[in-house]
Amino acid sequence: MENTVEVMEEKVQYIVVKAGVEQYGIDVKYVDNIVRIQKITRVPKSLPYYKGVINLRGEIIPIMSLRKKFNIEDEEYTSKTRIIILKPEQQELIGVIVDRVNEVVNFSESDIEKLSIDNKDELAKYISGVGKNNDNDTLVSILNIENLTADGRDAQAQ
Amino acid sequence: MDVSQYLEIFIDETKEHIQSLSDQLMILEKEPENTDTINEIFRAAHSLKGMAGTMGFTRMQKLTHQMENVFSEIRTGKMSVEAQLVDVLFQCLDAIEEYLSNIEQTASEGENDNEPILNQLQAILDGGGSPAAPAAAAAPTATAAPAADNGNRKYKDFVYAEFEKNAVNEAHNKNLNVFAITVQVDESCILKAARAFLVFKSLESHGDIIKSNPSVQDIEDERFDLDFSICIITSESYEKIIGVIKNVSEIKDAVGEPVPAFAAVTQEVASSKTEQKKEAVADNKKAPDKKPAGKPVVNRSVRVDIEKLDVLMNLVSELIIAKNGLISVSSSDNVSSRGFTEQIEYLERVTTNLHESVMKVRMMPIETVTNKFPRMIRELAKKLDKKMELYMSGEDTELDRTVIDEIGDPLMHLLRNSADHGLESNEVRAQRGKPEVGTIELNAYQDGNNVVIEVKDDGNGIDVESVRNKAIEKGSITEEQAETMSDKEIIDLLFKPSFSTAKKVSDISGRGVGLDVVKTKIETLGGDIEVKTKLGEGSTFIIRLPLTLAIIQALMVVVGDEKYAISLGSIQTIEDIPVTDIKYVQSKEVINLRGTVIPLIRLDSVLDVPRNEDYEAPDRMLVIVVKKGDKLAGLIIDELIGQQEIVIKSLGKYINNNNKVIGGATILGDGEVALILDANALL
Repeated sequence: MENTVEVMEEKVQYIVVKAGVEQYGIDVKYVDNIVRIQKITRVPKSLPYYKGVINLRGEIIPIMSLRKKFNIEDEEYTSKTRIIILKPEQQELIGVIVDRVNEVVNFSESDIEKLSIDNKDELAKYISGVGKNNDNDTLVSILNIENLTADGRDAQAQ
Repeated sequence: MDVSQYLEIFIDETKEHIQSLSDQLMILEKEPENTDTINEIFRAAHSLKGMAGTMGFTRMQKLTHQMENVFSEIRTGKMSVEAQLVDVLFQCLDAIEEYLSNIEQTASEGENDNEPILNQLQAILDGGGSPAAPAAAAAPTATAAPAADNGNRKYKDFVYAEFEKNAVNEAHNKNLNVFAITVQVDESCILKAARAFLVFKSLESHGDIIKSNPSVQDIEDERFDLDFSICIITSESYEKIIGVIKNVSEIKDAVGEPVPAFAAVTQEVASSKTEQKKEAVADNKKAPDKKPAGKPVVNRSVRVDIEKLDVLMNLVSELIIAKNGLISVSSSDNVSSRGFTEQIEYLERVTTNLHESVMKVRMMPIETVTNKFPRMIRELAKKLDKKMELYMSGEDTELDRTVIDEIGDPLMHLLRNSADHGLESNEVRAQRGKPEVGTIELNAYQDGNNVVIEVKDDGNGIDVESVRNKAIEKGSITEEQAETMSDKEIIDLLFKPSFSTAKKVSDISGRGVGLDVVKTKIETLGGDIEVKTKLGEGSTFIIRLPLTLAIIQALMVVVGDEKYAISLGSIQTIEDIPVTDIKYVQSKEVINLRGTVIPLIRLDSVLDVPRNEDYEAPDRMLVIVVKKGDKLAGLIIDELIGQQEIVIKSLGKYINNNNKVIGGATILGDGEVALILDANALL
């Protein structure tokens, strides 16, 4: 009986990206597209972690820097730099700059360890848990996409 | 026979016939002997009858049949046209319109037989032109609101769903109050949805609205009569809540009562109850005045001139030819750049034309909204007992479909305002030596990239002093402020929301009811509104709307390394000025341009444009003079690129961070994104 539960447990695919020294996992259901870095038009007076907007096939997409969001030093764009275009539920597209895309992994719920929420740490709400990648023995912080993208919208709503 | 596929055509054509009937009746009232008009009306009524019959709408058929009988008598000269007769006929039109809207919503004509109107028509036929009991005519007619027995306490009809009951019970446990309230909107209210929205908005700060009838969506889309019911959980008292609702202007009444806690229900009982509820709902649907909520059964359609479609078709075929040309050039062995350029130019020409044609298809003459106004003014004249005449010009001015759909209500509001508050009563006009008949003008014309609509009356105008006093009394401005404010600034106060909610102001100044709503609506369409008025001589409301919402002519400029677009409409002049011309007034930079002092705005610092370290300010600067109303400002830029037609795209919700200076973005020919500066926000 226990075995069947084990087998039945659903695995979710995550795209593992790197920003700074850390690895982050993004649920594939949010990923619309992955594009190479391109010219970003700066938008004055926007929140600091927004780099600007790009033109993706005729659509204007705002671009956020994951490094800046997590208060890591600003990135230098390389041939590995990518923009992950995300589609949060019921919301418009948004792009996130990452240093590189590493791989796609499958995590079941038991592979992900929930973090105890530390209220003092503002950044904690952007991470919904830590996944253990047993293949190469690394840790992947799972991004909470809804929270990550909500800030700009909330600021706008005020 | 299944006629549902013809429903759309039926609705379109019926609307056209109703409009033509309405127009012709207006003419008929003035020229009772005009045989052309009588024939035209007869034909329209006849077609309506035939169409309704074919579609199986028997009530509508009966009504139009009776109308046709009356016209037939008139046509043969057995009966003459009288004002009362015209009144009855207008009521018939209202009734037909109601059938039509029922059909649009539900594909059935409803249950209203409109007996009183039929009887009146019969009486006219019998009595040979003397309609009986005109008083009764005004009575129930088309409104058909013998509503539920609950009268204005419609909240009693509420059927609570399980989760709503739980919410109510929980609220009681927490010692919160739960009220069910029915709100009545004033009959004369034009923007009902906006008022309802205000009610919701002001209630939200006092509690949670857990239920509304009709649904919030329907209320927003104005699919309700004159009342709506809500259920609210709040910590405030009943009186307070009712007070909050009544504080919103044009709300006639609000009544309600506390909702008691529901008995806890087990699952089984619940299911049987839901069944009962379903029955109850079904019963309700049978009641004639219950409009079943939900989406209309017919999609909205636009009638497009076949010629416009032909042009489109031709352009698309040209596009295909251009594509084939490109293929052949690229597949030929020696790719000559000349052939290539030629094809590209051809393609460019085709796409420009294509764009223009598509825009034209989206354009509609403003007539489609204004043609119902003559009748409205006629009725207002009767109701207010003032003599007035509406003159319209430029009805063929074309606007984007999206604008046309939205502009009707604000215009109607302004016209009513002019008729009701602007024009003086007959006696006052006589005293002042003005012509007996008041004039209201509705002029529309194109002005560059804008369409201007003017609503003008020759009435009393706005009494600036009384507005000023009222504003001080209300505490909107202090006395010192009032001293320094110009007349124009005072008049602008009328558009402030806080101002119009006070009914007293409107009673005295005669203006201000809902002008804030009008202004908001026009601003969401990208336009603006201003007033010109002269006490005793009348006032003019001037609305400016962009020709289209999506595409504008813009001037491309460079600041630092960044490109920006500025709408050509707001640009006055472009000047090349030596830096030494900059003067300082109150330590702000200005220039004196041909006698006008213009404040300068350094775009690079407003927009935080990064500068290279070795950047040195040049000794001459480019200044773009922009205007907003009477205000001017000079924007300092680095370089001009030139004029360009740009497509406006939204920046989305994430990034703009409430910054009004950036109005949107556009994609340039090379795929790069340029931001659009809203010069109005800079001023």
